[in-house]
Amino acid sequence: MSMRSQVYEWANLAPSGQTSTLRRTTSDLPVVLPANRELDLFIGGYGNNITKPAETTATQFVVIEDIACAAQANGNVQIRINTTDYFQNPDVTNMLGIPGLASPYPRGSASSAAGTDNLLKSFDLYPDVYVLPGQTWQILYTTRDGVGSGSSTDVVAAFVKYTLYDGPDALIANKLLELGVTINPNNVDWYKRSLIEQQQAAASAAMAAKGGSA
Amino acid sequence: MSMRSQVYEWDATNYASTNTDISASVGQQISIFVGGLGNNITKPAETSATEFVVIEDIAVTPTAFVNSGSASAYRGLTLTLGTGMAGPRAYVQVRINTTDYFLDPDNVPNDGIPGSGSPYPRSVNFQPSFNLYPDVYVLPGQVWDVLVTWYNNAGLPTTAATCQSGDLRAFTKYTLYDGPDALIANKLLEMGISINPGNVDWYKRSLLSAQ
Repeated sequence: MSMRSQVYEWANLAPSGQTSTLRRTTSDLPVVLPANRELDLFIGGYGNNITKPAETTATQFVVIEDIACAAQANGNVQIRINTTDYFQNPDVTNMLGIPGLASPYPRGSASSAAGTDNLLKSFDLYPDVYVLPGQTWQILYTTRDGVGSGSSTDVVAAFVKYTLYDGPDALIANKLLELGVTINPNNVDWYKRSLIEQQQAAASAAMAAKGGSA
Repeated sequence: MSMRSQVYEWDATNYASTNTDISASVGQQISIFVGGLGNNITKPAETSATEFVVIEDIAVTPTAFVNSGSASAYRGLTLTLGTGMAGPRAYVQVRINTTDYFLDPDNVPNDGIPGSGSPYPRSVNFQPSFNLYPDVYVLPGQVWDVLVTWYNNAGLPTTAATCQSGDLRAFTKYTLYDGPDALIANKLLEMGISINPGNVDWYKRSLLSAQ
């Protein structure tokens, strides 16, 4: 299992009296979110979080294939690798990222909490985003409107799908990157096959040489 | 019939026509095969020495994220005042022997794929954001399981404690390779070739043409 499809789902839900939680619980309630503030889905202190920043080890390679967020409250989602934001304005200034209206999560959800429409995606994350071994990565959610207070709080969610290459497959992913070949499970398999074919050809040639000299 | 497309559908109530109390299992990982809840099978799912399983899809009942001030049914799902979620907030995980397939970025096993990302059933309101690619391979002799966790009993209809058939379901699609085709599947795995019926047939053709 050295190539694994993974997802991470974040929502502004936490147990009563807390703004974040490491484990989902059965008593989670919506959490108020500030407007225009980038919130790290992994360790941002709001909603469900994980124990440490997302980073790749020396033997891991991550390919981010999809990001999406709720369209409510004018949500946006951005990718940050180390300290560099992936999505930029045409004048190379910072932006909030992909709007939830363009890449909605859940797909088919409404554009507002009271809406009756079904949003489809206008955006496809292609080419994929590569996180090289040793890099730290973040997915940042920002709501322009903020998420309400009191008894009427929107529940908003964000989603990231990525493939984790580990061990030998991470080495192959690095090799494909050097070769300028797109990193996906098919191409990693193709590279493995070509290595096997080379080995078989070398073994055949050695056998032939041995037979010839005998 | 040595390559067979298979599906397994799980219903938390075992398709009961009456309300069923499933509240004792909320927040727990439940095996859809032998978890003691809903429809089960006679023994854990495992492959024999001459079988190879490729899991191609998993899905679970979706959840809609709405507003905590709402309390009316939303797109066929129950919404209780204060929760902001319509539906069970369910997740589905694959386990091979003792290893969970889906991890958080900190390498800690998580609940798995959310129903909102891989809904079952699919509809215009609930469409998939996730496809299981690459597939998950269950090698000969391994035990595999599909585990459902849900957190929002208040998203189930009638009352917070009871559930009706169809309110919480999970689904898995897999291909079972048996006998000679399982051997070919192992060979393809060694060669780094994706295991699917097309490639198994290609390998058979290449054997025939080599004879």
